[in-house]
Amino acid sequence: MGIADYFQSVEAMTPEQVREFLDRHEPSEYNLVDVRQPSEYERMHLPGARLIPLPELADRMNELDTDKPTIAY
Amino acid sequence: MAGGIKAWQGLTAAGLPEAGMAFFTAAAGTDELIALAWLLEEGSRRFYSALAAMRAQPEVAGLFGTLAEAETNHKSSLLALYRDLTGKAPGPDFPRGLSAAQDADDRMEGSVRVSEALTWAGDKETADLLDLCMSLEADSYDLYIKMGRSVPGEKAKKVFEKLVAEEKAHLARMADMLDGLDLQGPDC
Repeated sequence: MGIADYFQSVEAMTPEQVREFLDRHEPSEYNLVDVRQPSEYERMHLPGARLIPLPELADRMNELDTDKPTIAY
Repeated sequence: MAGGIKAWQGLTAAGLPEAGMAFFTAAAGTDELIALAWLLEEGSRRFYSALAAMRAQPEVAGLFGTLAEAETNHKSSLLALYRDLTGKAPGPDFPRGLSAAQDADDRMEGSVRVSEALTWAGDKETADLLDLCMSLEADSYDLYIKMGRSVPGEKAKKVFEKLVAEEKAHLARMADMLDGLDLQGPDC
């Protein structure tokens, strides 16, 4: 990742857009990532979301298929 | 997602990533995952069958009856997958022999006890039942996505992808019925 990547904006989807996306696609077509802590995930998460707490994200990026769109929350 | 989960207005699931698989004492192998799924589907089948018998409205009884049939089909798919992956027919103690839980027979999707759910459901309106069922199906949808990631081989993943798609369709059908009930008003 080069320095120019820090200035790339990341598209933010509204919750409604996310819901429409999830309705239109099968889980195998995207990465859905919950970056919160396990206790937060345990209380409530989006169905099918993969838990990768933010402090671990850099080390666990290989768990995600980078050819697929990724939605994080 | 802007706003995070606090801004989310849709179905959610609960439990840690390994939730639902905790009935098994050892790390869940493929046969254990299939046995778990079969158990939960059988519990849900019994629950939906009981609800179908309890509801006087034909369209509501029909929906629950259809859901019960779907769970039977899911069980068949899982048994076929078990045979394919293990090379043998399930033993006489399947699936209970693969589960350490004392009350494995009484569990359904969402890991809820069937007996408790039926006791709760006795005097509830249809909208309340659909709310519960949607919550349970959302947990099942969540669990099957995780199982699909865990099982080895494309064939096994395809079976769980099919189950995921069907759970999603069940959720949509229940949501439609719930919307229809909102328009009609409370049960007569």
